[in-house]
Amino acid sequence: MTIKAMLAGSAVILATPALAQEQVTLDLWTIDDPGEYHYVMAEEYMAANPNVTINVRTVQFEDMVNDLARSIATGDAPDITYIDNPEVALFASRGMLLDLTPYIEASEVVKVEDIYPGPLASVTYEGGIYGLPRGANTIALYYNADKFREAGLNPDDPPATWDELYETAKALTDPESNVYGLAFSAVGTEEGTFQFLPWLQMTGGDYNNINTEGAARALNLWKQFIDEGIASPDTLIRSQWDSTGTFNAGNAAMAISGPWEIPRMSEEAQFEWRVALLPVPEDGAERASALGEGDNVILANTDTPDEAFAFLEFLYGDMDRVWNDFGYLPASAVEVTDPKYPEAYAVFEESMKYARNRGPESDWPQVSGAIQTAIQSTLTGQATAEEALAEAQAEIDDVLGN
Amino acid sequence: MTSSRSSFRDGRGFDRLLVGLTLGFLLVFSAFPLVYNLIMSFQEVDLFTLGSFDRPWVGLENYADVTGHRVFGLIATNTAIFVAVSVAAQLVIGFALALFFQQSFPGATWLRGLFLAGWIMPGLVVGAVWSFILSGDFGVLNWGLMTLGITDGRVFWLSSPDTALYAVIIANVWLGVPFNMILLSVGLSAIPEDVYEAAELDGAGRVRRFLTITLPLMRAQIGAVLSLGIIFTLQQFDLFAALTQGGPANGSNVLQYWSWELSFTDYRIGQGSAVSVLMILLVVLVAVVYVRSTRHEHVA
Repeated sequence: MTIKAMLAGSAVILATPALAQEQVTLDLWTIDDPGEYHYVMAEEYMAANPNVTINVRTVQFEDMVNDLARSIATGDAPDITYIDNPEVALFASRGMLLDLTPYIEASEVVKVEDIYPGPLASVTYEGGIYGLPRGANTIALYYNADKFREAGLNPDDPPATWDELYETAKALTDPESNVYGLAFSAVGTEEGTFQFLPWLQMTGGDYNNINTEGAARALNLWKQFIDEGIASPDTLIRSQWDSTGTFNAGNAAMAISGPWEIPRMSEEAQFEWRVALLPVPEDGAERASALGEGDNVILANTDTPDEAFAFLEFLYGDMDRVWNDFGYLPASAVEVTDPKYPEAYAVFEESMKYARNRGPESDWPQVSGAIQTAIQSTLTGQATAEEALAEAQAEIDDVLGN
Repeated sequence: MTSSRSSFRDGRGFDRLLVGLTLGFLLVFSAFPLVYNLIMSFQEVDLFTLGSFDRPWVGLENYADVTGHRVFGLIATNTAIFVAVSVAAQLVIGFALALFFQQSFPGATWLRGLFLAGWIMPGLVVGAVWSFILSGDFGVLNWGLMTLGITDGRVFWLSSPDTALYAVIIANVWLGVPFNMILLSVGLSAIPEDVYEAAELDGAGRVRRFLTITLPLMRAQIGAVLSLGIIFTLQQFDLFAALTQGGPANGSNVLQYWSWELSFTDYRIGQGSAVSVLMILLVVLVAVVYVRSTRHEHVA
């Protein structure tokens, strides 16, 4: 534990002297496994605050929404849980999360101005703040510098626009040696939406406005990647993790994914890998990037909101550790001293400035489903990009009640 | 003590107790979920109203929504193809294997037993193994097909809407064949050997013996295998989850997977329930046909 964290921990105790007396138990749900973020932080917090016991329970990422909703219905909900960004609105809109605004106003540690706009938007719903981001992630373009040199391309000048991305990927594609130019994920899950939204947002669209020329251009480019053998047809069924696995193995020359890939990549990749910002539609166009990771939230029916918030404050206070210790980006303006993989960190940190929230929308799963269908039916040739987007827009309008 | 116990067992009260226990069990564990599901299919239900009965009643709207959904036709067709092809292939291959192992050769019995290993494995494990085999870029199947010169390029089994459903069918047939084989083997060994001997003496060839003795005497078993096969196939969920998640673009989606998707990824639980009610009707129909087709045999 850093000195700063200890100070933050003791500041919490000093600020709430009454709480230090009685024993308190907090139930915490997480998607982490033992040894990861929530387990480590809970241990540290308990060591600094002997009167608090935190029961950490692992819930699978895919099951979190279902299990949480069921636990709320049956009265077994935890005090604190992790939820994925777009799900905050789902629960907040139904009054199931504690509005943290008054706690944050009174807090010495949490300052709303410090939180980056994307992460802040992800915890904000109709004026209330319903969680604190535990960190953030975003996506960028990984590339194999060795393959750039072999193909006579300059690795110091990675593709910056969509046209350059296409040309570069095409030049790097080498079916004889089983090398695709680009790996990304268009899988029919939330990950597909996560990868596609920035492309849409760079052209001025967003989740509620997808029937645009820019969106059609992006989808047609994706389709071109697959039809011309620049990206594997299995892009349609591969998660980001699996897609990037093919990049690490040297079967793709570039890959679009996030910082969570770095630990594995630095072990597996037998080549010089680098990272660049996501290419934009044309020079000077607006940048956008995806916003991932999730938030620590407090359930509205907790018996111990003050103690729960004190723990959230402690987590937030250690934001400068998340990159080096846990592999995600800080969600607020903190200085990371001596970051691991400094070049990659610089790119992702820059990219975070353009990271945009998915939503907020209380019926996000349906909106996301419509976008996934549009992507998949275009890429499989079942519909043209324009038809698929029009259909998705109709479904989204229906969900949003427009 | 013995007498009191036997009189207790003989008495009417004991009969009632037995019937009551059975009925109670069925009511709690079968009827209640069925009825609850039926009720939900007439209501607007989301994740957050799961715990109470007090939900907006929407009549047949859920049914209209799902049957009118633009993917309903595709998914219903996929389901029909999935069931028909899976069950037919399982029956033919299972029957062929059963006949094969009916021949006496060293190790026939325990080799037949080994076939069950596939059936014992959980669907998710089978799905994971098949997803390696069927993988487009690195799959063993593509490597085999290309080495043998059967195909020129790679077939993207799981990511093309034309093949994804058949990829799941291949895995499902593999999974279902052992069960078919064992049930049919039992039927085959029940046919008395002397019937065949008599027919052989009368000059009936192998094909003739199969068509006039084996098939008619196996009628009940084939009926059972067919209807159980249809029911198992309609329940098949794990393979879809492990292999294609119903994709790409619903190319391999079937009613049972769609029902789950509607309920647990879209949180339209009323619509998901409506789909499962439609499936229950289908299964009941199959069961009725099966019971009817076997009833007159018991009488005769």
